[in-house]
Amino acid sequence: MAEFNRIAGEREMPYMKLDPRTKMVMVICLSSLALIYNTPDRLLLVLAATVGLLLIFRFDPSAIWGYLKPFLSLMLILFVIQCVFTRGGEVLLAVGPVPLITSKGLSIGAGVVLRIVVITAAAMLFTTFSSRDFILGLVQWRVPYELAFMVSIALRFLPVFRDEFINVITAVQLRGVELKKVSWGQKISMYRRLFFPVVYGAMLKAQQLAVAMEARGFRAYPRRTYLRRLNLSSADYVLMLFFTAATLMLIGINFTT
Amino acid sequence: MSFLKLSQVTFFYPRKLKPALTGLNLGLEKDEITAIVGPNGSGKTTLTKLMIGVLQPAEGEIQLEGRPIAGYSLAEIGRRIGYVFQNPDLQLFCSSVAEEVGFGLTNQGCEPATVEEKVDFYLDYFELAAYRNAFPLHLSQGEKQRLAIAAVLANEPEFLILDEPTIGLDAYRKKLLEDYLKKVARLGRGMLLISHDAPFVNRMAERVVTIENGRIQSDSGRKGNAVYEA
Repeated sequence: MAEFNRIAGEREMPYMKLDPRTKMVMVICLSSLALIYNTPDRLLLVLAATVGLLLIFRFDPSAIWGYLKPFLSLMLILFVIQCVFTRGGEVLLAVGPVPLITSKGLSIGAGVVLRIVVITAAAMLFTTFSSRDFILGLVQWRVPYELAFMVSIALRFLPVFRDEFINVITAVQLRGVELKKVSWGQKISMYRRLFFPVVYGAMLKAQQLAVAMEARGFRAYPRRTYLRRLNLSSADYVLMLFFTAATLMLIGINFTT
Repeated sequence: MSFLKLSQVTFFYPRKLKPALTGLNLGLEKDEITAIVGPNGSGKTTLTKLMIGVLQPAEGEIQLEGRPIAGYSLAEIGRRIGYVFQNPDLQLFCSSVAEEVGFGLTNQGCEPATVEEKVDFYLDYFELAAYRNAFPLHLSQGEKQRLAIAAVLANEPEFLILDEPTIGLDAYRKKLLEDYLKKVARLGRGMLLISHDAPFVNRMAERVVTIENGRIQSDSGRKGNAVYEA
């Protein structure tokens, strides 16, 4: 992750050296729009804007695929559930008199998948600055250090959790289980069985991390000092204002139309 | 024909300019015990991950029983090669110790009675019977290591790759592991050991390959007959 941050930083042009807080505002705005919009056409527009931003920050959008790949089955399940259980609109597929897929179900299903893609893509902006700058940015926004540190650790744990899941899937296959050939029922039952140990394993790691932090004097003193200060430039103010205003306006339009 | 054959294998990690492995040629037989030694970061673990198809070479080819490894699924490789990770935490994923040992057998369609019998045997042999229902990640490092080895051995693969198998084991358990591996070798199954434990390597390996900076520096050849020296 650090290596990636370093490379991402190196690729950033001088005019794009924005304050991490500006990028945080961008992520919040894009994610809020993704949560509020529920039609595929609008979500596609938000996705296009997110990909555009990633390209501006010299982030290869194809890397998003790598982050989404382990969750494809989950996304497919969500898509199918939404398609089948959401009623309304034109009936596209029916089994006898029972409508199976409706246009509304299809639209909601596509919306759910697009929402996950947009939020994942927007979160990639977090990888264009270091976790230290992230904490510093939040602390300068008067967020308590402990809380800022926890958020930063949580963000760091997401790729760890993803890697953990990939490792488990690899280990399962190396024990001779042909995951691609087993039926969906068996696959779901296996994932269900693996879910608890993986989550519990991640919790154990978090517990060990907490002990390691305490052992190194975390919260030993009530006051903290910082070597560096982040300074917002005029470009940062303009962009923050623009993104916040545009998001509020789009949300307003969404609720009035 | 070698069981595993690497021809001119080069591998780069993403965003790294220097290759982790360069132009490696190596053949491993099914009936020999080979050890790979070398300093930290020399590419030993990377090499084993290429051998089991978890990583793909940038150049060159790896063949398993005469067929390119890219043509096998991970499960097909896993049924032929048992792989014990350097960090056992990465390969323990079940809710109990017994389930962990029987996982592969159960999912390959073995009869429940056979699974039970084998699980009992391996839990007894590796002295894990007392932890039968324990959560694997709650075990100590040495116990986790023994469990990871037991879970792989229970599948009875044709070839074993053990990455630092003696880490966390006391002298007595190391001896138990050695005895078992020798027994496995006598049944005609080969193995590849990655280890910094020199006495263990000396006692176990018939052939020692030294890797440094992603290249083979020396290969003692079978039964210690020097066949290659870089």
